[in-house]
Amino acid sequence: MQNIIEELKKKFKEELQKVSDKKLLEDLRVRYLGRNGELNKILRGLKELSEEERVQVGRYINEFKKEISELMETAEEKIKQMAEDFSKEWLDVTAPGAKLPQGHLHPRTIVLRKVEEIFQSLGFSVVDSREMETDYYNFQALNFPKDHPARDMQDTFYITDELLMRTQTSPNQVRYMEKHNPPLRIIVPGKVFRRDASDATHESQFYQVEGLMVDKHISIGHFKAVIGEFFSQLYGQKIKIRLRPSYFPFTEPSFEPDISCTFCDGRGCRICKNTGWLEMAGAGMVHPFVFKSAGYSPYEWQGFAFGFGLDRLVMMKYKINDMRVLNFGDLRFLKQF
Amino acid sequence: MKFSANWLNEYLQKPLKPQEIADLLTMHAFEVETCEKFGKDFVLDIKVLPDRAHDCMSHIGIAKELAAISGLGFIESKANISEDKKIKAKDFIFVEVPSGDLCPRYSMRVLSDVKVAPSPKWMQERLAACGLRPISNIVDITNYVMIETGQPLHAFDVDKVGGKKIIVRRANEGEQITTLEGKTYKLSNQNLVIADEKVAIGIAGIKGGEGPEIDEKTKVVVIESANFEPTNIRRTSKAFNLRTDASIRFENGLDPELTIKALGRAASLMAEFAGGRVASGLIDVYPNKVKPRKIFADVEWIQGLLGLPVKIQEMVNILKRLDVPAKIIKKNKKTFIEVTPPSSRLDLRAQEDIAEEIARIMGYDKIPATVPSGILIPAAKEENLIYEDKIKDILVGAGWSEAQNYSFISDADVKTFEIVKQVEIKNPFSQDQKYLRPTLIVNLLKNVKENLKYFDGVRLFEIGRSFTMVGGNPAEWKNKIAAVVSNKNAKRPAEGLFELKGLVHILFEKLGIDDVWFDDEISSDSSVMPFWLKYTHPARRAQIKSGQNQIGWVGEIKPKILSAMEIKEKISVFELDFSEVIRIASEEREYIPPSKYPAIIRDLAIVVEQTTKIETVLNIIEIAGGPLLQDTDIFDIYEGLVDYKKSLAFRLIYQSDERSLSDAEINKLMEKIIKSLEEKGWEVRK
Repeated sequence: MQNIIEELKKKFKEELQKVSDKKLLEDLRVRYLGRNGELNKILRGLKELSEEERVQVGRYINEFKKEISELMETAEEKIKQMAEDFSKEWLDVTAPGAKLPQGHLHPRTIVLRKVEEIFQSLGFSVVDSREMETDYYNFQALNFPKDHPARDMQDTFYITDELLMRTQTSPNQVRYMEKHNPPLRIIVPGKVFRRDASDATHESQFYQVEGLMVDKHISIGHFKAVIGEFFSQLYGQKIKIRLRPSYFPFTEPSFEPDISCTFCDGRGCRICKNTGWLEMAGAGMVHPFVFKSAGYSPYEWQGFAFGFGLDRLVMMKYKINDMRVLNFGDLRFLKQF
Repeated sequence: MKFSANWLNEYLQKPLKPQEIADLLTMHAFEVETCEKFGKDFVLDIKVLPDRAHDCMSHIGIAKELAAISGLGFIESKANISEDKKIKAKDFIFVEVPSGDLCPRYSMRVLSDVKVAPSPKWMQERLAACGLRPISNIVDITNYVMIETGQPLHAFDVDKVGGKKIIVRRANEGEQITTLEGKTYKLSNQNLVIADEKVAIGIAGIKGGEGPEIDEKTKVVVIESANFEPTNIRRTSKAFNLRTDASIRFENGLDPELTIKALGRAASLMAEFAGGRVASGLIDVYPNKVKPRKIFADVEWIQGLLGLPVKIQEMVNILKRLDVPAKIIKKNKKTFIEVTPPSSRLDLRAQEDIAEEIARIMGYDKIPATVPSGILIPAAKEENLIYEDKIKDILVGAGWSEAQNYSFISDADVKTFEIVKQVEIKNPFSQDQKYLRPTLIVNLLKNVKENLKYFDGVRLFEIGRSFTMVGGNPAEWKNKIAAVVSNKNAKRPAEGLFELKGLVHILFEKLGIDDVWFDDEISSDSSVMPFWLKYTHPARRAQIKSGQNQIGWVGEIKPKILSAMEIKEKISVFELDFSEVIRIASEEREYIPPSKYPAIIRDLAIVVEQTTKIETVLNIIEIAGGPLLQDTDIFDIYEGLVDYKKSLAFRLIYQSDERSLSDAEINKLMEKIIKSLEEKGWEVRK
């Protein structure tokens, strides 16, 4: 009897080896463990055996049943794994992704946000302003009398004799000071206009950022620290600053801050024309005339003011070689930002 | 202005290398734009700015700067005139200055027996280096002395001056003058002229006239060295669009003391190089001599402004190097520097000007960077600007890209878009930039046109200022938000229009504005017709409203405009009033938690006339549905049923925040809604 069972075991194992899917496994299970299966056939033959033999064979069979169950389980697991072969569901995942709608900020907006963020961290508030100005705020209040040759430094679009398109963001120095008491720190970003032919480096409209800091004791040294910190944060590297003398009617002394060339680190390259320096802005100490225009007591307060071209920063950052692309909604350009 | 390095070095104790000159000037005085070899010389292009044009548009002026910066001594040029006692200037010419207000000083010298010939080679070379064309010894000497001293000179042939009289007067109305170039100008009494007894022989300070010019036969020369009132020169020069080396110098103002120095130098050169005899006597009409002025510069104030405790003695030394007399005085326990600027320094007016001289000569590099102390003012950003950023981010997030266009539009644009009340630029530079934009749409459409060459779908927006005439006056009008969309191969009519309606919803929802609707009942009263109606499709446009406030409009561009612009695709646009949008926007939204109770969903199909507005059907459903009807979505529109009808399918979502709803009560509500719809004569499909 025992031999029969051993034989059966061997046969079962052989057959199990050949089973490759769930259905065959089920067939196998029925053939051995089913109601008319091999094991039941043996059990049915038990009654012809003695009590003692019955107990012994019964034990064999139970062990065998257990073994079959375990083997079946393992086989089932194996089949399951085989069934999880996704090869039929293959697709080319390198095919391009879905084209979802995608918008882009203008690069000027991206750079301006960075500029505003840095100045805000330095305590400067960001102030809104207007583009059409009066001759008074754009010029006279800033110490450019009518018929002053310094007006030639800024070719102007006039609307009437007294109204114009602002040539600079500086009118907001007086406009802001008229409404606010010192101490103050502000920046005023905005569009300005010059009556000029358009080419790769000149435009009839561009963006400036005006800065103004006023307090009891403000010095050129303070300006150097603030502007140096701004450019260092903007470029994420230590930037050196030098001041060259200049002239603006509304600052005295007037100077132009240059920054160490960000392309060659000041060693001299094509972009800085081998000087190691890049011209960045116009600046100076607020002229007492301007304080007077704003209704401040001129020698009671000191301050510095500066203005720089935002477009130049944008062009430098993204290596844009033609200013005109900034003033047209060309998606071939905008999509790159 | 162009300068010769050799010439500049002539005034210095020790010559400087051209590059040294360039570097010193750049860091202490003026920007040197170029420094280039020119024969045996170097030419420097120095950017002299208006505050120093009165003294530094001259080799002497720049050389004095170099002397002060480098500490080298300055050597004066020689002017040895030996007057010929036998001849007297006043016998040759008589000068009258009736318009003294426009001519503070008028000086002249006379030379007889001159021989007009080419000027010496060295002079010709220097003039050429400075960009001037050599003409003859007499004319070249006047030019040479001008670029040497900064004082413009003019030479006349005395024998051709009518009545031997020079009159400096205002022109008569309608008087004409023909300049040496042969151009004729019509003058008015706003213009100052140099005239002889009968006619104008020069536009004062700007250009000489035909008549008494120097030619090869000239024997007696009278040299004019004058000081003219700058504003008048500038106005005349601008009015005639005539800028000359002389007018540029006069319009910046000149030192009245300079006339006779230049005159002496010119006479000495003419005696030497044109063989002239200098007539004795100087003709000089100078009724009001300029008086020296004093500046009291507060030493402590200057130190504070510079951010460096420069020693007082160093300040005084710097001023002395600049040839500016200065002394230290004490007043009320404060130390001042009393400065007496020389007449040649018209720009030194107050202590801030003195501060600049000290800072720049010393060098700005000496001033250390110092972090400002003081009360920290919290940095804020104006609300407008915060909203602008936010709106940009919302639109970009929805798939629109930000354009930034010119604020100008052209004549052709005004015609195409039938724009009225546009603001005109008085002095446009080009025809493309003749007017200011009253709407952002015009330039955005141009963007679309270009982009359609490369893309099948174009989505752009812009935020910017618009301009218009308000009550007859030019005004900066509204800040606007505009968006455009154009799709090639659109799948349904006015697809873009509905895309933009969707965009408006996204924008408003994110800005916290719940109440927005589209009003297509637009008044056709042409007297109050807003101009956007002129370029939008009459059947495909709506006002965008919140409550009763109009905040913008949306529409498809009229075919006529598109064909005028040669655009083949349909374009939809919206334009919103920025300040209205942010006025309504409220960020203080209250959070409503999602209901804990299940929702009950019912669908409803209604057959209505083709022309029935969905908005109208929705309103009836929502009113009848009451507060338990939380949302109604349209999910299908089927047009083209018989009898010009269409079928609308709605999904109705019922939900309460307080309890579970029963089927029975929803059935009741549905019956109520159906009844309301049927009352309108619409068929509800059950």
